[in-house]
Amino acid sequence: MDLVARCRAGDVEAFETLYREHAARLYTLACRMAGSREDGEDLLQEIFLQAYRKLGSFKGDASIGTWLYRLALNHCLDYVRSRRAKMNKLTETLDADTSFEPTARRDTPIARMDLERAVERLPEGCREAFVLHDVEGFDHKEVAGLLGIAEGTSKSQVFKARMKLRVLLGRR
Amino acid sequence: MHPNDETLNAYADGSLPANEAAEIERHVASCVSCRQLVDDLREILRATADLDLQDPPARAWMRIERAIQLEQEGARAEGARAFQASERDIASGHGHGPAKAGHDGMWLPWLAAAAALVLATFVGLRYAPGRSQLAAPASQARDGAAQASAGDAAQSVENELRQAEAHYENAIKGLEQIANAEQNALDPRTAATLQKNLAVIDQAINESRAAIRSQPASEPAQQSLIENFKTKIALLQDTVALINEMRKGNEAGAARIVSGLKQKGN
Repeated sequence: MDLVARCRAGDVEAFETLYREHAARLYTLACRMAGSREDGEDLLQEIFLQAYRKLGSFKGDASIGTWLYRLALNHCLDYVRSRRAKMNKLTETLDADTSFEPTARRDTPIARMDLERAVERLPEGCREAFVLHDVEGFDHKEVAGLLGIAEGTSKSQVFKARMKLRVLLGRR
Repeated sequence: MHPNDETLNAYADGSLPANEAAEIERHVASCVSCRQLVDDLREILRATADLDLQDPPARAWMRIERAIQLEQEGARAEGARAFQASERDIASGHGHGPAKAGHDGMWLPWLAAAAALVLATFVGLRYAPGRSQLAAPASQARDGAAQASAGDAAQSVENELRQAEAHYENAIKGLEQIANAEQNALDPRTAATLQKNLAVIDQAINESRAAIRSQPASEPAQQSLIENFKTKIALLQDTVALINEMRKGNEAGAARIVSGLKQKGN
């Protein structure tokens, strides 16, 4: 019996194997989309619980990894939309250019950890667009579709994210 | 004239049309500030492409596994409930009507199970071995040379007794409020089990109080009373929490509490 079939049959050990194979990718996506590791961990739990419940609907048209990634992405997007609706601060955060302290200019290569921390600090709205476009590799049309925004808005948000990262990373 | 930042950004990531890109390239070659921005943006893009995956903390899987187990337990309980309901229907000749949903149909069996666990847990704790350990501070006090410290200890125990009693009264009050509010919804079996639990615990408390009356200075008796109070408070809090979870229809939360009661009883 293959791994997915064992998972469907309620084999928790098989599900753990599935988790071990895909958790890092989905956790990383969740942390970056949410902007915090704590929220990313909560999202990861919800994603895998949802996967456990929905495995019966997996048709095998795509790989299980692709199926899990789509499920995770949709879950992250739901989370982002829900948080955005609650806070209703998208416009303000996108326009708030004064929230970052100026730092001394650095010309050394950017360390991964510094970049991760800086991405976490990006304002909501432009962070999600940046993660989807620059990290996950979706084009602007796809990002627009995923986030429910215009393509031009996606471009503008990614641009703003990069400019904010430049400040956060002390490049200006 | 400098190109705007958006144009430089598009140039940096290669999304600018070729004819425009050539023009910007010429400008950037001779303009330090624009070249700096382009270099910075390219460095950010390079670093972004170089980002690694992050491993979740080890506890993440444990949380997921636990949640799955709770779901499985919930599913099994649901199946058992359906079976019991069908048995009752058959016995009462009601046949297979629509499944009971919501308030009284969903949580009362959980409450019955939890109430039984509360009883088992309490009895287990009450007669658990190791009670003699409670006498250790008393013997230490007897052996101690300083009467003042023994007096302080007695005062402390009295204070603790008073505090515990206050907690106990509050917990009882909270439970009574919920029980009154849900009085009509409780099935007779659940109500009877809860009454039995209360009676057993109250009896233990009365026994401790009687022991203190006959030996007011007995620290084991005092500590026994405190332990009984604390145990009852903890169990009542769990029971109240369970009722709340069942009210919300959160079976996973309820199962978690029942599981906690089971562990305490082991």
